[in-house]
Amino acid sequence: MASVLATRHPEDTVYGQVGDVTVPLRFSTLAGEYQVLRERAAVLDLGGHRLIEITGPAAVDFAQRILARDVEYLTSDRCMMSLVLDDSGQVVDQVIAFGREDGLLLESSCGAGSKLLDHLNAHAVDGAEITDRSAELTVIGLEGPYAWGVVGRLIDGELASLPFESVVDATWEDVDIVFARTGYTGEYGYQMIVPREAASRLWAGALEHAQAAGQEALELAMLEVRQPIPRHEATPGATVIEIGANWLVDITKDDFVGRDAVLEAFESGDGRRTVGFTGCEGVPAPGTRVLAGGQDVGEVVHAVHSTGLGATLGLARVDPELAAAGLDLTVGGLGVTTLTSPYIVPKSWSIPII
Amino acid sequence: MALRPVVVTGLGIICAAGRDPAEFWTRLTTARGGLAPIEDPAYAVFAARHAGQVPDAWIDTQLPAGVEAGDRTARLALVAARQAIEQAGLPLPDPGPSAGPGFGSGVGGPGPAGPDPGRFGIILGKCQATPGPQGRYQPMHHTADVVARRLGLGGPRVLVSTACAAGGNAVGLARDKILTGEADAVLAGGVDPLLFGTYAGFAGLQALSTGPCRPYSHSDGLNLGEGAAFLLLEPLDLALARGATPLAEVAGYGLSADAYHATAPDPTGRGGAGAVRRALADAGLTPADVHYVSGHGTGTPANDAMEAKVMRLVFGERAPQVPTSSIKSFVGHTLGAAGAVEAVASVLALRHGVAPPTIGFDDDSRADLDYVPNDARPMTIDTVVSNNYAFGGNNVSLVLTRPRTGAGPGPSGQPRPHDPPARRDAVITGLGPVTGAGTGIAETAAAITAGRRADGRAPSLEGRTFAPRSLWRHMNRLSRLAIAASRLAWEDAGLKLPRRALDDVALVFATGAGSAESTGGFDDSIALNPNKPAVLSFSNVVLNATGGAVCQTLGLRGPTTTICNGAASASIALDCALEMIAAGKADVVLVVAADETPAPQATATPEGAGSASAASAPSAHSGFPYGLPTSASGAEGGVPGVAGGEGASGPVAQGAGSGAVAFVVESAEHCAQRGGRPYARVAGTRHVAGEGAEPVARSLELPGAAPGLVVGAATGLPRDAEEAAAVRARMPDALLTASAALIGDCQSATGAMNIALAALAVRDGITPALAGASGPEVAGSSGGEAAGGPYVAGPELAGAVERAVALTAAHDSVRGAVLLEAV
Repeated sequence: MASVLATRHPEDTVYGQVGDVTVPLRFSTLAGEYQVLRERAAVLDLGGHRLIEITGPAAVDFAQRILARDVEYLTSDRCMMSLVLDDSGQVVDQVIAFGREDGLLLESSCGAGSKLLDHLNAHAVDGAEITDRSAELTVIGLEGPYAWGVVGRLIDGELASLPFESVVDATWEDVDIVFARTGYTGEYGYQMIVPREAASRLWAGALEHAQAAGQEALELAMLEVRQPIPRHEATPGATVIEIGANWLVDITKDDFVGRDAVLEAFESGDGRRTVGFTGCEGVPAPGTRVLAGGQDVGEVVHAVHSTGLGATLGLARVDPELAAAGLDLTVGGLGVTTLTSPYIVPKSWSIPII
Repeated sequence: MALRPVVVTGLGIICAAGRDPAEFWTRLTTARGGLAPIEDPAYAVFAARHAGQVPDAWIDTQLPAGVEAGDRTARLALVAARQAIEQAGLPLPDPGPSAGPGFGSGVGGPGPAGPDPGRFGIILGKCQATPGPQGRYQPMHHTADVVARRLGLGGPRVLVSTACAAGGNAVGLARDKILTGEADAVLAGGVDPLLFGTYAGFAGLQALSTGPCRPYSHSDGLNLGEGAAFLLLEPLDLALARGATPLAEVAGYGLSADAYHATAPDPTGRGGAGAVRRALADAGLTPADVHYVSGHGTGTPANDAMEAKVMRLVFGERAPQVPTSSIKSFVGHTLGAAGAVEAVASVLALRHGVAPPTIGFDDDSRADLDYVPNDARPMTIDTVVSNNYAFGGNNVSLVLTRPRTGAGPGPSGQPRPHDPPARRDAVITGLGPVTGAGTGIAETAAAITAGRRADGRAPSLEGRTFAPRSLWRHMNRLSRLAIAASRLAWEDAGLKLPRRALDDVALVFATGAGSAESTGGFDDSIALNPNKPAVLSFSNVVLNATGGAVCQTLGLRGPTTTICNGAASASIALDCALEMIAAGKADVVLVVAADETPAPQATATPEGAGSASAASAPSAHSGFPYGLPTSASGAEGGVPGVAGGEGASGPVAQGAGSGAVAFVVESAEHCAQRGGRPYARVAGTRHVAGEGAEPVARSLELPGAAPGLVVGAATGLPRDAEEAAAVRARMPDALLTASAALIGDCQSATGAMNIALAALAVRDGITPALAGASGPEVAGSSGGEAAGGPYVAGPELAGAVERAVALTAAHDSVRGAVLLEAV
């Protein structure tokens, strides 16, 4: 599935396949888009995120069972990020759940919509209707230290200072949109769920105040603040503890799919832990072995060249006692140092919304 | 509809920037602030030491000797109250230890007749529970009682505790009491002293500025202050009739809840803007009419940034042209008094046509709003908006205007024509009791039917969370109880409202003492180390914190307030709900009352620190309402009543307990439109202030036919006999029961439970049994003839109860009665 905005993207946009979708990886250069995201404000085509609605009398109970976090009282002015697990505790997806008057709306991670939809359908219950709304709706994001200013100019200044994870049913040029304060990169972040037929106009409108950034810049900035990217980090067999996504699970909930497996992982304390590292030349491939004092202690999960650090930045999954900052390890024969997250300090943390 | 105009005829103030209104105004207009380092060595432990203190001499020289010696809070309040009465041209009663009969009785010599003392009320805003001479916390309403007793005020008596918004809130509620016709004059204001514990709490929150605060420019923190301020409110027609000079009109007020956070304001400013918009709508004005805004202006970054947003939201492009200033730069943050202090300043601003400045303002700051920097500004001022924002996310805005009189002869003009008070039927549509007897109305009804009682059990919240877990796990016991009660009442009412409608759902919280857990935990932390206060507990020490938590959890952003009149709080809160509905400010109001038994451990008082131990425990409880043991089950016969309950083998005495009881009050029209099933119509309420047994009888003077059931306020105290005798005399055929028989004495929650049980009896025909059918003697009564009863003998009432009365009692302060009727 291609983005509804594809016709609006520049001709030399570089696309790539992410899961079940084709998304813009870069509109221009990674460095340029990264800089826009970290220094000013970036517009994001999040058309690769599937929108699935759950409605009906059993909607909340169903969502409560499917989602690993507590959504019982998720009102229509709130959203939250949660993992979706399978029975064995493996990550199916990492979603944003929006409270709605008549149920919930789930936004999948990039390219994981089909997998999520299949999982939902496999667990479907009477009274909870599952509807893929992606044929009608798409998502456009804004992210950056001055993204709030774009919101003010584009829609309404009142929306810019919404608390994190707040949702408002708003109107933009007579089009009903769902507006949310979210954020993937540590910068001010917003998402707008819009009808597909209005998406081009909103995209063009946003570009009057900000520049587009593609999936590569977004994922780089996410990694720099240790925002989980499930397609890179949820490797087969890894538990949520090993992935380091405990915060996206609430084991105090009585019941949800995958809870037993998560509890077992919590209680056993087994497995590895994920930690950031920097230092080596080049970008090691996933699976590259990590050594400590000559001993194999784990492997690389995901690594990139971080524009913010000006160096390689990666995640390694290592023995628990080594998942700490400031340790010298070896990756592919080259020395690296483990880091504490966030690996760069977002500019937004020192910029007030005015 | 033209509302009866309500005007201010007297002002009183004592604060760091002046001992009376004249001195206060002179200093405001000559930029002479009152912030100075605290000399008390106890405060040397803090890095920040500037505060707005009132010199003792300012108090001493304005009060007759011996007045409430040692009670600084009451003395501050009395100074300001007396000034307001004096300026209004009303006589002050004799200064003896027991006040004279008061106003309208010729006391004070010849002069225009003042209001009837029974129609002269006091509504006091207060944030902190203050310690009495023995170091124990006084009941929240104590200061209002002292002032009322000293000044002979027998009318409506309300203690409102919406933290830092309380003073402004009090002025609004006072206007309501005049609009409903309950009062002809009300002293409305606020008071708070400087307390060590509060100081430590703000220091712990890193909220104090190390120098004099500089709102809107440096915004590096606030200074605490102390003081009292009162405005004397009267209806314009009565004020003119007695020749008084209207100083300003209280044209409207607005309340709102942020539903956002315990201490931080909603950064969008939408909560604050909501209050201003409601206040302007209440006044029939628009933002374009506003000439000057008296800001909350604490000087904290969060507040000052939020207020700028409120200005932009409300005034749009005109925001930079609307002067707004903070007189906290002169007096510090006087907490519960602040709204009243600023209302006094606003009235003076209207009178003199001068906007007081924000002093200490840094001219180099890049402010894009007009904060009236450093110099007072003469200007045309016909309309002032005065804003206050509080912990718990409570916001209040007052609209004050130059008094407008009707055309006609006379030096002060003629009264303006107005319509009679608005009437809208209200019904109770949902009940949410959370007590030791049951969680929810179904469990409670089952307990009543089976004759089960709390017997000292704490309410159970097992098996269900009532809030998002992320919030729930950080909440104290009282908030959890209140939230559970609120949600259960909401569900019982069958209310399904869209998000947008929740923005207009109101909440009135009632509590005697707030969270004993948080108060105790905070005081303990201060006693150990004043520089390491338990800040999470501190944010829950304010009485309205629990109400704020309910709003946050249920997403309610409508008008909200908190009433702290002991065990009478719930019926007074119901009055507030009825006023909101009558005025069209809300269609749905959630009233929730919650109290808990104090933590058992004693707390130490740091030397010289002026902190206080936990609230005093109720005393002299027999545990049996009217001295009557409750029957253990409906099947068993009654046990003859014995005072003190001794010799009663079966039943267990009900002592002090914890509980929360919520009920949904709805306009009858709203309920009918949505097809709701009401329990009962609220046919009338009545509150009588005063000491002793006399107010008990008067509180029962309700309109219409006699009720079939009275749910009394008895809790097992010797004084229950007064109530039983009064009920017997006024309503000889009514069955009598009391919720304390079921749940024990849960202070405000007991009052709310009485209202809930009256509603349950009217609709579903059940009520807790109190004793055998034989009509035993009333405890404490003498003589052979039973002075009270008949008491309810079994849970199933013989026939439908068409009318039931619920009683509430804060002894020697306020008695309340609520009449419910079948729909």
